[in-house]
Amino acid sequence: MGEYAISSFRLGAIPGEVIESCLMERVRPIHELDDIDALVRIYQARLLRFVACSTGDVDLAETIVQDTLLRAYNCRESFRGECSVNTWLTGIAINVLRDHQRTERYKFWKKVKTTAIDVHEMASFIPAEGSSPEVQLLAKEKVKRLAQVLGTLSPRQRTIFLMKFSEEMPVIDISEVLGIPATTVRTHLHRALKAVRSQLGAKI
Amino acid sequence: MTPELSTHLSEEAMDDVLIGLASPESDAHLAACSLCRSQLQEFRSAMQVFNQTSLAWSEDRSKAFHHSSAKPKIRPAIFVPLSWAMVAAVLLAIGFPMWNHHYLSRNYAPGPASTPENSEAQIAQDNELLQSVNLALNESDVPQINMYDLSDGPHPQLKVRPELRNR
Repeated sequence: MGEYAISSFRLGAIPGEVIESCLMERVRPIHELDDIDALVRIYQARLLRFVACSTGDVDLAETIVQDTLLRAYNCRESFRGECSVNTWLTGIAINVLRDHQRTERYKFWKKVKTTAIDVHEMASFIPAEGSSPEVQLLAKEKVKRLAQVLGTLSPRQRTIFLMKFSEEMPVIDISEVLGIPATTVRTHLHRALKAVRSQLGAKI
Repeated sequence: MTPELSTHLSEEAMDDVLIGLASPESDAHLAACSLCRSQLQEFRSAMQVFNQTSLAWSEDRSKAFHHSSAKPKIRPAIFVPLSWAMVAAVLLAIGFPMWNHHYLSRNYAPGPASTPENSEAQIAQDNELLQSVNLALNESDVPQINMYDLSDGPHPQLKVRPELRNR
């Protein structure tokens, strides 16, 4: 994120070391995090895609995303701009998901109604940018197959795979967000890629 | 593995490239080998299509979700105890009548332990009654066929008329 806002100081009223520390530190992008409407508008879809593909449950993903955005808005002062907002939000979403899995708050409702992602519905959203119907059909099949293969990965492998190849996060950011060593992230990625390759064929 | 493929990148090396940890040797090989490049491109294009499609899907879901709840709703703190109180009231309304019914039926219905029919005196009385019934049954257990004197000898209980005897 290139744009950072600095609060307007009355320089004469603030000690020099405070000004220096404020100027040295990268201040958070105030325009996004202070406006919850902007936060929802910009990041909700990406978060929903990540959490829905990671958990495989659309209703649960919507709840997690809502909690994530609310928590991010309430804790916006803690964002120091050391990573992108998307990475920061992904980390919060992971924590919210972890809290949910730990407390199993929605266990009963999960048993009653689990709304799995409809792969066919998702594949119908394939962008049609001047491609022929045959190409679109092939792409649709590819998306469906990839979504099904992702469903066969372990939750941890799937989450790391999506963080790397959908959210395009660097390995070091993934390791920081998940709190695991970078070598473990690489191991999970290798296993996930091997599984994807074996199920989709040697072409990938 | 065929001899031609042995000159290409291994799966592990290909994964390293995808993960972003390509070695200089892998980079040099990819610069020269179109087959390995096309394999990498195949994976990247598949992921690109998947990402575009899934993002379009989630944007559509978000729009629908956004219309239903424009902002994350902040529940006032008073709602939490109120909701718990409501749940408790419902449980009480259902549970108390059930408990009351169960308690009353247990206390007022004659239980098997408190009935006098299991006491020893009662058992002895029952036994006497059963024995007397048994005795009465044995006494009246005379075969009905004897009433008609069909046996060879005279029946002790029957009086034979003299005219019949002299005939």
